[in-house]
Amino acid sequence: MALDAMSDIPDDALLVLFANGDRAAARALTLRLTPRVLAHAHRLLGDRAEAEEVAQEAMLRLWRVAPEWRQGEAKVTTWLYRVVANLCTDRLRKRRAVGLDAAPVLADQALGPDAAMQGTARAEALHAALARLPARQRQAVVLRHLEDLGNPEIAEIMETSVEAVESLIARGKRALSADLSGRREELGIVDD
Amino acid sequence: MTETNKDVEALEAHFKAARARPLAPPDALLARVLADAEAVQATPAPVRTVPRRGWRPVLRAIGGWPAAAGLLAATLAGVWIGASPPEGISAYLPGADVAYIIDLAPGTGLDLVEGAL
Repeated sequence: MALDAMSDIPDDALLVLFANGDRAAARALTLRLTPRVLAHAHRLLGDRAEAEEVAQEAMLRLWRVAPEWRQGEAKVTTWLYRVVANLCTDRLRKRRAVGLDAAPVLADQALGPDAAMQGTARAEALHAALARLPARQRQAVVLRHLEDLGNPEIAEIMETSVEAVESLIARGKRALSADLSGRREELGIVDD
Repeated sequence: MTETNKDVEALEAHFKAARARPLAPPDALLARVLADAEAVQATPAPVRTVPRRGWRPVLRAIGGWPAAAGLLAATLAGVWIGASPPEGISAYLPGADVAYIIDLAPGTGLDLVEGAL
């Protein structure tokens, strides 16, 4: 089947095709899911090289689980976000064990005059502040405000209640606001 | 700390900027992911077999269900006799310090010796 013809096929149906040996399905899933998996891993880890390793490992786990996937039972992306989160948690734990956790992992650079650079600087400032949040708050805020998921799906990914997710997001956002408030002028977010 | 509208708007400006700049996957990563996918597809899926239970081969070796039932009955009878021996059999069981001599045909011994039969 041509790749274009697969754009309307849901993830779980593609996964069944993949398990049946369809190479076009493998390609379609790779192109569709790897960017999301990589972006999520990068947002949780703040490190490009590690995020790439996590993305490859998460996708490999997806390929291996494909023959046992039961269509309609779980969303493929929900499953993937959970795998990515677990892999990232393992890496963050190892970082703490070797004393690397304190270092902000994303560049926290000064702002240039250009608007595009301003946007980049805002994003980088956010990533640096996210890296300073407790892991569960970071995961909840990233899933809600950067991956744009609803709280029930986030609760499923994080294996907790919707109320707990709401609390994690609220606390995470308060901490981010406090962390970033001193840089508003520099980042072009001017108080009236 | 009370969250103001200004805080919410400022944070949203950060989220908006970050959403617009996801880390894009390099071609080399996509190639590695696809290579993994094709390698998994090339490997035949393991055939799921029900693990053979340990007692089935033993049952076959002793001759199937009828033999197993006979063996079980004999075992239970042995255990019962051991635990609660019938009266007649207790004389044949070894005692602690007592020995018995039982003459099953008193009087015949002498006759045999004398060749009277």
